[in-house]
Amino acid sequence: MVEPDKMTERDGPEDDLLLVERILAGDRRAFESLVRKHERRVFRVTVAVLGNAEDAEEAMQDTFVKAFRHIAQFRRESRFTTWLTRIAVNEALQKRQARKNTVSLDEVAEAEVKVFPHRSHQWHEDPEKLFGKQEVRMMVEDAIRALPPIYRETFVLRDVEGFRAEEAAEILGLTLPAIKSRLLRARLLMREALAARLEDAPALPNRILITAGRMRDMIAIKLMKAMGQ
Amino acid sequence: MAMLDCKEVLDNLSDYIDGEGSEELRKAIELHISRCGRCRVVFDTTGKMLKIVTDAEPFEVPLAVSARLYARLEKVLAEE
Repeated sequence: MVEPDKMTERDGPEDDLLLVERILAGDRRAFESLVRKHERRVFRVTVAVLGNAEDAEEAMQDTFVKAFRHIAQFRRESRFTTWLTRIAVNEALQKRQARKNTVSLDEVAEAEVKVFPHRSHQWHEDPEKLFGKQEVRMMVEDAIRALPPIYRETFVLRDVEGFRAEEAAEILGLTLPAIKSRLLRARLLMREALAARLEDAPALPNRILITAGRMRDMIAIKLMKAMGQ
Repeated sequence: MAMLDCKEVLDNLSDYIDGEGSEELRKAIELHISRCGRCRVVFDTTGKMLKIVTDAEPFEVPLAVSARLYARLEKVLAEE
């Protein structure tokens, strides 16, 4: 492929509009710039819906093919990012629905998940000092993958991709209260998942000392009883 | 506003973190968490969780996945 333009995900919506204009004028390099700018987001969103990288890859490819073929239909009523992400979610949802029983499982998950925080210890201040950046990333990815799909989608759109709640509602075709309700549960589930690794547990030597102290006291009481005191 | 219980505080955790809700509600939540250690930890660690997730930048596109994407798009663009 040709050399990509120097653009990053951080460029604003104006840059997207310029690229769309160039694509519509027949400049295919502009489409590559658009793909480079958004591929990571599209990949994360398709992983969020489908739960694994293999299915997400296919959905990501189909998303960009569809976006290219339908770019003239982008109406500029919403941000380009929102428009593209909606295509990505739809592509991924179609693949998910094609998988056996997935829809009914989602409904069960939504009905059954009642989240109440069980863990209530403080966390270590800097997890990267304990685990290293790569391990923290894997920990986060495992926790996101373990979320029920309906919470995973909302969490990734809102808290990983930074869409506003209203935009997440538009992308997923949900009401704002539904998004907020799912987001609260997703955040609490994520907190519980990470707490299992990050809570300040008493250090092992302390626990040994506490146990030894209790045993010493019990032995002393038994000895005193045996001596008739 | 009447004193909130733990469930009411928890129900509003997300909105509070996102800076939403009325001033009165936010003050009532702050009053509760200043007195309730358990809710304080839940609020604090939920905020920490969000920062950890942002800093972790999860789900990088693997290089091979990216390469296959560009290969397919090149083919599609050539055919259009």
